[in-house]
Amino acid sequence: MDPRTRHALEFVLDNLVWFMLLFVLVVFSIFIPNYFQLGIFANIIEASSVLGVMSIGLALVIIAGHMDLSVESVAALSAMAVGILFCSSGIGLGVQLHPQWLMVPVSLALALAVGGLIGAFNGYLVVKVKMSAFIITLASYIWVRGLVLVISGGRSAQDLAPAIRWFGIQRLAGLPLTAWIAVACFVVFSLIMAKTPFGRHLVMIGGNETATFRAGIRVNRNLIIAFVLAGAIAGLAGWLLAIRTSGATANLGVGLLFNAFAAVVIGGVSLKGGVGTLPGVYAGVLLLSAINTAINLMGLPANFTQVIHGLLVLAAVLLDAFKQTIRQRLA
Amino acid sequence: MSEPLLVLDNVTKNYGAIEALKGISFSISRGEVVALLGDNGAGKSTLVKIIAGGLEPTSGRMLFEGKEFLAKSPAEAKAAGIETVYQDLSLCTNVDVVANFFMGREITRKVLGIPVLDERAMETVVEKALASAGTRIPSLRANVEHLSGGQRQAIELNRFVHWGGKLVLLDEPFAALGVEQTRRGLDMIRQVANQGIGVVIITHIMQQAFQVADRIVVIRQGVVAGDVARNKTSPDAVINMITGETLAGAGPAG
Repeated sequence: MDPRTRHALEFVLDNLVWFMLLFVLVVFSIFIPNYFQLGIFANIIEASSVLGVMSIGLALVIIAGHMDLSVESVAALSAMAVGILFCSSGIGLGVQLHPQWLMVPVSLALALAVGGLIGAFNGYLVVKVKMSAFIITLASYIWVRGLVLVISGGRSAQDLAPAIRWFGIQRLAGLPLTAWIAVACFVVFSLIMAKTPFGRHLVMIGGNETATFRAGIRVNRNLIIAFVLAGAIAGLAGWLLAIRTSGATANLGVGLLFNAFAAVVIGGVSLKGGVGTLPGVYAGVLLLSAINTAINLMGLPANFTQVIHGLLVLAAVLLDAFKQTIRQRLA
Repeated sequence: MSEPLLVLDNVTKNYGAIEALKGISFSISRGEVVALLGDNGAGKSTLVKIIAGGLEPTSGRMLFEGKEFLAKSPAEAKAAGIETVYQDLSLCTNVDVVANFFMGREITRKVLGIPVLDERAMETVVEKALASAGTRIPSLRANVEHLSGGQRQAIELNRFVHWGGKLVLLDEPFAALGVEQTRRGLDMIRQVANQGIGVVIITHIMQQAFQVADRIVVIRQGVVAGDVARNKTSPDAVINMITGETLAGAGPAG
């Protein structure tokens, strides 16, 4: 095979999920009336912002060879914390800060701190006490959601302070600022993973933890940072969720975890660790969102979504195995 | 010879009631190649891990460049100038050759105060290092999982030659190599030793030990069973030391 075909083929393999997204968009645009509109595409991006942000954190930890099942509950707790403080009805306390805009950094810092703390707790137990990340974060998934129920008493907070809501309303180039925040997160973390020693080390730790330890990389420190980041990013997702729903309910975001897993796997991240990139994950998120939108437009019952998501995850895993065989023949 | 590079003084290691090392004493000088021989389970790998910071000894002490030395982690040993090539390869197969070569020591440049990987600079260095060692690898950007066992081991060997340091520990470095590559590997060891670096090589193959080593240290059942200059012994005598039929040349460090 001459090098150019080989390069082209490798490029396609590396970005397969983007091609799938493009393919799906083209097919939907042709066969579904009214699909091909800027407004629809903007809606796809907008609808995927919370899931997208959450998937980043999940992907970081999985690439490093671990697991974080708690991201969904962490997002809910952060959203509830913001909701209780800054909502004016329901269980909201309606805390006012002057000037008004001060509520933005304060609520954001609160959401990030809540998430970061739980991430640090997870990371400490996984890394220092050497317990299975699956079990630790499963426990967190349960107790953090429990905490949401406890502090809310099962009730909800509504009417988020307008200064914070502003991020969900104000649009830039057709997209609300919340969507831009998600896009910015993907850009920043993609660069961190691809271009900095920290990102490189996470990938290598996911590949062979013993080797990185022997090479003098501070494995424990890097892993704890990854868990803290996953938590803080989940906190950010919660903040976006609170803005999107203008408050918080006790069951906010239930089911997001599985969508995030689906997006991460579809995006080409291996659950074994060490493989996958964040741009791929973003394509996975957009792909899910594009399909949801199609289902809505076709007027299919929403219950179909879950069936299709499940099949899509299955297809992604099979595709991954197929990609591996092709790569072996290329090498 | 001048002051030894590394001195081990009665180093022991217990795993519960099992004494893996019962008290090891020997030393190694700069530019010297010491072959560490012994039967399976004699404690060779344990000893290497203790020097390399992967394990802590139960008792005893080590002097490195005349100073009390105990590495609590591989990172500390590396910082002191001790490079290790392990028996099971220490490569991350999910990243490319360049990333493996620079594992933990990436070249970076600052962009807005943030360290960013300088891929081009790293690739140039790896290219030079591999070329000077005569190792051919089709693409430095290929993930290591796609390379053969021999190519992988060559990367490891080139890595230690490049980084050098002051002391190199090699735990069965030629297990996956062919005849020609092994010969080249032995040449590399001599080359490294000629730069004044101390080399400890663990091997099972007597012929390799006699080809490359200045001194042969035999470990049997957790103690030094023999410590002799290569030109004052023979393969048969060494085999006797390994199996325990004689205790020829056993002696204190130095």
